[in-house]
Amino acid sequence: MSLIDTFLEKARKEKKRIVLPEGNDERILQAARTILDKGIATPVVLGKNLSLTGLEIINPDTSPLLDKFASLYAAKKENITEGIARKLVRKNLFFGCMMVAHGEADGIVAGIAHATASVLQSAGLAIGYLKDVHIPSSFFIMVLPQFLEEKNKILVFADCAVNINPSAQELAEIAVTTGKNAGDILGIEPRIAFLSFSTKGSASHTDADKVIKAVEIAHGIAPELIIDGELQLDAALIPRVAQKKVKLSEVAGHANVLIFPDLDSGNIAYKLTQYLAGATAYGPILQGFKKPVCDLSRGATADDVVGITAIVAVQAQRRH
Amino acid sequence: MSEVAERVKKVVSRQLKVQPEKINEGSEFVKDLGAESIQSIELVAAFEEEFGITMDEDAALSVRTVGTAIEFIEKHLSETGRNNE
Repeated sequence: MSLIDTFLEKARKEKKRIVLPEGNDERILQAARTILDKGIATPVVLGKNLSLTGLEIINPDTSPLLDKFASLYAAKKENITEGIARKLVRKNLFFGCMMVAHGEADGIVAGIAHATASVLQSAGLAIGYLKDVHIPSSFFIMVLPQFLEEKNKILVFADCAVNINPSAQELAEIAVTTGKNAGDILGIEPRIAFLSFSTKGSASHTDADKVIKAVEIAHGIAPELIIDGELQLDAALIPRVAQKKVKLSEVAGHANVLIFPDLDSGNIAYKLTQYLAGATAYGPILQGFKKPVCDLSRGATADDVVGITAIVAVQAQRRH
Repeated sequence: MSEVAERVKKVVSRQLKVQPEKINEGSEFVKDLGAESIQSIELVAAFEEEFGITMDEDAALSVRTVGTAIEFIEKHLSETGRNNE
Protein backbone atom coordinates (compact mmCIF):
# COMPACT_ATOMS: atom_id res chain seq x y z
CA MET A 1 0.00 0.00 0.00
CA SER A 2 1.41 3.42 -0.90
CA LEU A 3 1.87 6.05 1.77
CA ILE A 4 -0.98 8.14 0.36
CA ASP A 5 -3.29 5.10 0.44
CA THR A 6 -2.41 4.68 4.12
CA PHE A 7 -3.37 8.33 4.78
CA LEU A 8 -6.61 7.95 2.81
CA GLU A 9 -7.53 4.94 4.90
CA LYS A 10 -6.64 6.64 8.20
CA ALA A 11 -8.57 9.77 7.22
CA ARG A 12 -11.74 7.74 6.53
CA LYS A 13 -11.76 6.29 10.04
CA GLU A 14 -12.64 9.60 11.70
CA LYS A 15 -13.91 12.15 9.22
CA LYS A 16 -12.74 15.73 9.71
CA ARG A 17 -14.12 18.97 8.27
CA ILE A 18 -11.55 20.38 5.89
CA VAL A 19 -12.01 23.78 4.29
CA LEU A 20 -10.93 24.32 0.67
CA PRO A 21 -11.07 28.11 0.16
CA GLU A 22 -10.26 28.19 -3.57
CA GLY A 23 -13.56 26.87 -4.91
CA ASN A 24 -13.32 28.98 -8.03
CA ASP A 25 -10.57 26.67 -9.28
CA GLU A 26 -11.96 23.67 -11.15
CA ARG A 27 -9.36 21.27 -9.63
CA ILE A 28 -10.61 22.10 -6.13
CA LEU A 29 -14.21 21.28 -7.10
CA GLN A 30 -13.13 17.96 -8.63
CA ALA A 31 -11.09 17.13 -5.54
CA ALA A 32 -13.91 18.12 -3.17
CA ARG A 33 -16.28 15.82 -5.05
CA THR A 34 -13.82 12.88 -4.71
CA ILE A 35 -13.16 13.65 -1.02
CA LEU A 36 -16.90 13.63 -0.37
CA ASP A 37 -17.74 10.58 -2.49
CA LYS A 38 -14.92 8.46 -1.04
CA GLY A 39 -15.63 9.58 2.53
CA ILE A 40 -12.08 10.88 3.10
CA ALA A 41 -13.24 14.03 4.91
CA THR A 42 -16.15 16.46 4.96
CA PRO A 43 -15.08 19.14 2.49
CA VAL A 44 -16.29 22.71 2.89
CA VAL A 45 -15.68 24.74 -0.26
CA LEU A 46 -15.49 28.55 -0.32
CA GLY A 47 -16.39 30.49 -3.43
CA LYS A 48 -18.77 32.80 -5.21
CA ASN A 49 -21.61 31.70 -7.48
CA LEU A 50 -21.04 28.02 -6.86
CA SER A 51 -23.70 25.40 -6.50
CA LEU A 52 -22.98 21.71 -6.48
CA THR A 53 -25.30 19.02 -5.23
CA GLY A 54 -24.24 17.52 -1.95
CA LEU A 55 -21.23 19.77 -1.41
CA GLU A 56 -21.23 22.31 1.41
CA ILE A 57 -20.41 25.65 -0.16
CA ILE A 58 -19.95 28.94 1.66
CA ASN A 59 -19.74 32.37 0.05
CA PRO A 60 -17.86 34.50 2.60
CA ASP A 61 -19.59 37.68 1.31
CA THR A 62 -23.05 36.45 2.27
CA SER A 63 -22.22 34.11 5.16
CA PRO A 64 -23.50 34.99 8.64
CA LEU A 65 -20.02 34.01 9.84
CA LEU A 66 -18.59 37.14 8.15
CA ASP A 67 -19.79 39.54 10.86
CA LYS A 68 -18.91 37.12 13.64
CA PHE A 69 -15.35 36.60 12.36
CA ALA A 70 -14.87 40.35 11.74
CA SER A 71 -15.89 41.17 15.33
CA LEU A 72 -13.70 38.43 16.77
CA TYR A 73 -10.67 39.54 14.76
CA ALA A 74 -11.13 43.26 15.48
CA ALA A 75 -11.54 42.49 19.20
CA LYS A 76 -8.16 40.81 19.43
CA LYS A 77 -6.21 43.39 17.40
CA GLU A 78 -5.56 46.87 18.69
CA ASN A 79 -5.41 48.77 15.40
CA ILE A 80 -7.84 46.74 13.37
CA THR A 81 -11.32 48.28 13.19
CA GLU A 82 -14.34 46.14 12.36
CA GLY A 83 -14.39 47.73 8.91
CA ILE A 84 -10.81 46.65 8.20
CA ALA A 85 -11.48 43.23 9.72
CA ARG A 86 -14.46 42.77 7.37
CA LYS A 87 -12.21 43.48 4.38
CA LEU A 88 -9.74 40.87 5.63
CA VAL A 89 -12.29 38.22 6.49
CA ARG A 90 -14.09 38.56 3.14
CA LYS A 91 -11.00 37.13 1.46
CA ASN A 92 -11.54 33.42 0.96
CA LEU A 93 -8.11 32.43 2.26
CA PHE A 94 -8.48 34.47 5.43
CA PHE A 95 -12.10 33.35 5.92
CA GLY A 96 -10.99 29.71 5.66
CA CYS A 97 -8.28 30.27 8.26
CA MET A 98 -10.81 31.97 10.57
CA MET A 99 -13.10 28.92 10.20
CA VAL A 100 -10.24 26.72 11.37
CA ALA A 101 -9.27 29.13 14.17
CA HIS A 102 -12.82 29.20 15.53
CA GLY A 103 -13.73 25.53 15.24
CA GLU A 104 -15.89 25.72 12.08
CA ALA A 105 -13.38 23.43 10.33
CA ASP A 106 -10.53 21.18 11.49
CA GLY A 107 -7.94 22.07 8.87
CA ILE A 108 -7.37 24.04 5.68
CA VAL A 109 -5.96 23.05 2.29
CA ALA A 110 -5.08 26.09 0.15
CA GLY A 111 -2.47 27.57 -2.15
CA ILE A 112 -3.51 26.27 -5.58
CA ALA A 113 -4.39 29.86 -6.56
CA HIS A 114 -2.29 31.80 -4.02
CA ALA A 115 1.39 32.37 -3.24
CA THR A 116 2.84 30.43 -0.31
CA ALA A 117 3.52 33.73 1.47
CA SER A 118 -0.19 34.60 1.33
CA VAL A 119 -1.13 31.26 2.89
CA LEU A 120 1.53 31.72 5.60
CA GLN A 121 0.35 35.27 6.38
CA SER A 122 -3.33 34.40 6.61
CA ALA A 123 -2.67 31.32 8.76
CA GLY A 124 -0.18 33.16 10.98
CA LEU A 125 -2.60 36.01 11.66
CA ALA A 126 -5.87 34.10 11.92
CA ILE A 127 -4.79 30.75 13.42
CA GLY A 128 -1.52 31.64 15.15
CA TYR A 129 1.41 29.47 16.17
CA LEU A 130 1.80 26.55 18.57
CA LYS A 131 3.23 27.10 22.05
CA ASP A 132 7.01 27.65 21.94
CA VAL A 133 6.86 28.16 18.16
CA HIS A 134 7.38 31.58 16.62
CA ILE A 135 7.75 30.76 12.93
CA PRO A 136 6.02 28.65 10.32
CA SER A 137 8.14 25.95 8.71
CA SER A 138 7.64 22.91 6.51
CA PHE A 139 8.66 19.33 6.01
CA PHE A 140 8.70 16.72 3.27
CA ILE A 141 7.99 13.01 3.68
CA MET A 142 10.46 11.23 1.39
CA VAL A 143 9.82 7.63 0.41
CA LEU A 144 12.91 5.93 -1.07
CA PRO A 145 12.34 2.77 -3.12
CA GLN A 146 15.36 1.17 -1.42
CA PHE A 147 17.89 2.30 1.19
CA LEU A 148 20.55 -0.13 2.47
CA GLU A 149 18.52 -3.31 3.07
CA GLU A 150 15.17 -1.54 3.52
CA LYS A 151 12.45 -1.16 0.88
CA ASN A 152 10.15 1.91 0.88
CA LYS A 153 12.32 3.67 3.44
CA ILE A 154 10.63 6.75 4.92
CA LEU A 155 12.67 9.81 5.86
CA VAL A 156 11.42 13.23 6.93
CA PHE A 157 13.30 16.33 5.69
CA ALA A 158 12.98 19.87 7.07
CA ASP A 159 12.93 22.73 6.34
CA CYS A 160 13.14 22.53 2.57
CA ALA A 161 10.64 25.24 1.63
CA VAL A 162 10.10 28.14 4.03
CA ASN A 163 12.96 29.46 6.20
CA ILE A 164 15.95 30.70 4.23
CA ASN A 165 18.55 31.04 6.96
CA PRO A 166 17.07 30.07 10.33
CA SER A 167 18.78 31.16 13.56
CA ALA A 168 19.77 28.55 16.16
CA GLN A 169 16.48 29.17 18.00
CA GLU A 170 14.46 28.86 14.77
CA LEU A 171 16.34 25.71 13.75
CA ALA A 172 15.56 24.18 17.15
CA GLU A 173 11.85 25.02 16.73
CA ILE A 174 11.83 23.54 13.23
CA ALA A 175 13.38 20.30 14.55
CA VAL A 176 11.03 19.92 17.50
CA THR A 177 7.92 20.67 15.43
CA THR A 178 9.03 18.31 12.66
CA GLY A 179 9.86 15.53 15.11
CA LYS A 180 6.47 15.76 16.78
CA ASN A 181 4.67 15.86 13.43
CA ALA A 182 6.63 12.88 12.11
CA GLY A 183 5.58 10.93 15.18
CA ASP A 184 1.95 12.00 14.92
CA ILE A 185 1.44 11.54 11.22
CA LEU A 186 3.64 8.57 10.43
CA GLY A 187 3.43 6.76 13.75
CA ILE A 188 7.23 6.41 13.90
CA GLU A 189 9.54 7.17 16.80
CA PRO A 190 11.41 10.20 15.51
CA ARG A 191 15.20 10.13 15.72
CA ILE A 192 16.17 13.66 14.84
CA ALA A 193 19.56 14.52 13.34
CA PHE A 194 20.75 18.11 13.05
CA LEU A 195 22.87 18.02 9.91
CA SER A 196 26.07 19.93 9.26
CA PHE A 197 29.37 19.59 7.42
CA SER A 198 30.82 18.77 10.84
CA THR A 199 30.34 15.72 13.10
CA LYS A 200 30.67 16.35 16.83
CA GLY A 201 33.25 19.09 16.54
CA SER A 202 35.21 17.65 13.61
CA ALA A 203 35.18 21.10 11.96
CA SER A 204 35.21 24.51 13.53
CA HIS A 205 33.09 27.25 11.98
CA THR A 206 30.32 29.64 13.00
CA ASP A 207 27.86 27.71 10.78
CA ALA A 208 28.56 24.49 12.73
CA ASP A 209 28.32 26.48 15.98
CA LYS A 210 24.78 27.54 14.99
CA VAL A 211 23.78 23.89 14.63
CA ILE A 212 25.42 22.94 17.95
CA LYS A 213 23.53 25.76 19.67
CA ALA A 214 20.26 24.63 18.01
CA VAL A 215 20.73 21.09 19.39
CA GLU A 216 21.13 22.51 22.89
CA ILE A 217 18.01 24.69 22.55
CA ALA A 218 15.98 21.78 21.12
CA HIS A 219 16.92 19.58 24.10
CA GLY A 220 15.64 22.36 26.34
CA ILE A 221 12.32 22.76 24.47
CA ALA A 222 11.57 19.04 24.12
CA PRO A 223 13.70 16.87 26.45
CA GLU A 224 11.48 13.88 25.60
CA LEU A 225 12.55 13.79 21.95
CA ILE A 226 15.52 11.78 20.68
CA ILE A 227 17.82 14.42 19.20
CA ASP A 228 21.47 14.56 18.27
CA GLY A 229 23.90 16.70 16.32
CA GLU A 230 25.80 18.17 14.80
CA LEU A 231 26.16 15.26 12.38
CA GLN A 232 27.25 14.85 8.79
CA LEU A 233 24.68 13.09 6.63
CA ASP A 234 26.59 9.79 6.47
CA ALA A 235 27.07 9.74 10.24
CA ALA A 236 23.33 10.33 10.63
CA LEU A 237 22.17 7.59 8.25
CA ILE A 238 24.82 4.89 7.83
CA PRO A 239 25.49 2.68 10.88
CA ARG A 240 28.99 1.75 9.67
CA VAL A 241 30.03 5.41 9.43
CA ALA A 242 28.28 6.34 12.67
CA GLN A 243 30.23 3.67 14.54
CA LYS A 244 33.49 5.21 13.43
CA LYS A 245 32.60 8.87 13.90
CA VAL A 246 30.21 9.01 16.85
CA LYS A 247 30.29 7.47 20.28
CA LEU A 248 27.07 6.86 22.17
CA SER A 249 24.21 8.23 20.12
CA GLU A 250 20.63 7.03 19.75
CA VAL A 251 20.42 8.96 16.49
CA ALA A 252 23.69 8.48 14.61
CA GLY A 253 23.33 5.74 12.02
CA HIS A 254 19.58 5.49 12.61
CA ALA A 255 18.19 8.98 11.97
CA ASN A 256 14.75 9.21 10.35
CA VAL A 257 14.20 12.97 10.66
CA LEU A 258 16.84 15.13 8.99
CA ILE A 259 17.10 18.80 9.93
CA PHE A 260 19.04 20.85 7.40
CA PRO A 261 20.93 23.95 8.55
CA ASP A 262 19.41 26.25 5.92
CA LEU A 263 17.12 26.36 2.91
CA ASP A 264 19.95 25.93 0.38
CA SER A 265 20.92 22.55 1.79
CA GLY A 266 17.35 21.43 2.56
CA ASN A 267 15.86 22.31 -0.78
CA ILE A 268 18.78 20.87 -2.75
CA ALA A 269 18.76 17.69 -0.64
CA TYR A 270 15.09 16.90 -1.19
CA LYS A 271 15.40 17.41 -4.93
CA LEU A 272 18.58 15.31 -5.12
CA THR A 273 16.84 12.52 -3.23
CA GLN A 274 13.79 12.84 -5.46
CA TYR A 275 15.63 12.86 -8.78
CA LEU A 276 18.82 10.87 -8.15
CA ALA A 277 17.45 8.29 -5.72
CA GLY A 278 14.01 8.06 -7.32
CA ALA A 279 12.26 8.96 -4.08
CA THR A 280 8.67 10.17 -3.91
CA ALA A 281 8.40 13.53 -2.15
CA TYR A 282 5.19 14.39 -0.24
CA GLY A 283 5.06 18.05 0.70
CA PRO A 284 5.89 20.68 1.58
CA ILE A 285 3.58 20.17 4.53
CA LEU A 286 3.35 23.35 6.58
CA GLN A 287 3.72 23.24 10.33
CA GLY A 288 3.98 25.43 13.39
CA PHE A 289 0.36 26.60 13.33
CA LYS A 290 -2.13 25.77 16.08
CA LYS A 291 -4.25 23.85 13.56
CA PRO A 292 -3.33 21.96 10.37
CA VAL A 293 -2.66 24.15 7.34
CA CYS A 294 -1.45 22.95 3.96
CA ASP A 295 0.04 24.88 1.08
CA LEU A 296 -0.65 23.34 -2.33
CA SER A 297 1.62 23.97 -5.26
CA ARG A 298 0.00 25.96 -8.06
CA GLY A 299 0.58 23.04 -10.39
CA ALA A 300 -1.21 20.54 -8.13
CA THR A 301 -3.69 18.16 -9.74
CA ALA A 302 -7.10 17.27 -8.27
CA ASP A 303 -5.55 13.95 -7.13
CA ASP A 304 -2.75 15.83 -5.34
CA VAL A 305 -5.40 17.90 -3.54
CA VAL A 306 -7.20 14.73 -2.42
CA GLY A 307 -3.93 13.21 -1.08
CA ILE A 308 -2.91 16.39 0.76
CA THR A 309 -6.40 16.71 2.22
CA ALA A 310 -6.02 13.19 3.65
CA ILE A 311 -2.70 14.19 5.29
CA VAL A 312 -4.29 17.33 6.78
CA ALA A 313 -7.24 15.27 8.02
CA VAL A 314 -4.88 12.79 9.71
CA GLN A 315 -3.02 15.72 11.32
CA ALA A 316 -6.37 17.04 12.56
CA GLN A 317 -7.26 13.65 14.08
CA ARG A 318 -4.12 13.88 16.22
CA ARG A 319 -5.01 17.33 17.61
CA HIS A 320 -7.52 16.57 20.29
CA MET B 1 1.22 65.39 -3.23
CA SER B 2 -1.83 63.67 -4.70
CA GLU B 3 -4.94 63.06 -2.64
CA VAL B 4 -4.35 59.30 -2.84
CA ALA B 5 -0.78 59.71 -1.56
CA GLU B 6 -1.97 61.76 1.40
CA ARG B 7 -4.61 59.23 2.33
CA VAL B 8 -2.19 56.29 1.95
CA LYS B 9 0.24 58.03 4.32
CA LYS B 10 -2.55 58.71 6.81
CA VAL B 11 -3.52 55.00 6.80
CA VAL B 12 0.12 53.88 7.17
CA SER B 13 0.67 56.31 10.04
CA ARG B 14 -2.44 55.08 11.84
CA GLN B 15 -1.90 51.35 11.27
CA LEU B 16 1.82 51.20 11.98
CA LYS B 17 1.82 53.97 14.59
CA VAL B 18 4.50 55.96 12.80
CA GLN B 19 4.60 59.77 12.76
CA PRO B 20 3.47 61.09 9.34
CA GLU B 21 6.63 63.15 8.82
CA LYS B 22 8.71 59.95 8.93
CA ILE B 23 6.78 58.44 6.02
CA ASN B 24 7.92 59.07 2.47
CA GLU B 25 7.28 57.30 -0.81
CA GLY B 26 10.52 55.33 -0.64
CA SER B 27 9.78 53.97 2.85
CA GLU B 28 9.61 50.20 3.01
CA PHE B 29 6.89 48.96 5.36
CA VAL B 30 9.01 46.22 6.92
CA LYS B 31 12.51 47.72 6.79
CA ASP B 32 11.78 51.38 7.51
CA LEU B 33 8.38 51.55 9.19
CA GLY B 34 8.56 48.68 11.65
CA ALA B 35 5.86 46.48 10.11
CA GLU B 36 6.18 42.74 10.48
CA SER B 37 6.04 41.05 7.09
CA ILE B 38 3.03 39.04 8.25
CA GLN B 39 1.07 42.30 8.68
CA SER B 40 1.05 43.23 5.02
CA ILE B 41 -2.42 41.77 4.40
CA GLU B 42 -3.75 43.80 7.32
CA LEU B 43 -2.26 46.92 5.81
CA VAL B 44 -3.79 46.09 2.44
CA ALA B 45 -7.18 45.57 4.13
CA ALA B 46 -6.80 49.03 5.68
CA PHE B 47 -6.16 50.51 2.20
CA GLU B 48 -9.17 48.62 0.86
CA GLU B 49 -11.37 50.12 3.53
CA GLU B 50 -10.02 53.64 3.06
CA PHE B 51 -10.53 53.57 -0.71
CA GLY B 52 -13.52 51.23 -0.98
CA ILE B 53 -11.65 48.82 -3.21
CA THR B 54 -10.86 45.10 -3.17
CA MET B 55 -7.37 43.76 -3.71
CA ASP B 56 -6.25 40.16 -4.17
CA GLU B 57 -4.31 38.50 -1.31
CA ASP B 58 -1.27 38.09 -3.50
CA ALA B 59 -1.32 41.81 -4.35
CA ALA B 60 -0.37 42.45 -0.75
CA LEU B 61 2.93 40.72 -1.37
CA SER B 62 3.95 43.12 -4.13
CA VAL B 63 3.11 46.23 -2.11
CA ARG B 64 6.36 46.73 -0.21
CA THR B 65 6.83 50.50 -0.12
CA VAL B 66 4.57 53.50 0.41
CA GLY B 67 5.24 54.48 -3.20
CA THR B 68 4.20 51.10 -4.64
CA ALA B 69 1.02 51.20 -2.53
CA ILE B 70 0.12 54.64 -3.91
CA GLU B 71 0.85 53.52 -7.46
CA PHE B 72 -1.15 50.31 -7.04
CA ILE B 73 -4.18 52.10 -5.59
CA GLU B 74 -4.13 54.91 -8.19
CA LYS B 75 -4.02 52.33 -10.96
CA HIS B 76 -6.83 50.35 -9.37
CA LEU B 77 -9.00 53.47 -8.97
CA SER B 78 -8.45 54.61 -12.56
CA GLU B 79 -9.26 51.13 -13.90
CA THR B 80 -12.49 50.91 -11.94
CA GLY B 81 -13.40 54.57 -12.53
CA ARG B 82 -13.78 55.30 -8.85
CA ASN B 83 -11.82 57.62 -6.66
CA ASN B 84 -13.74 57.61 -3.47
CA GLU B 85 -16.39 55.80 -1.51
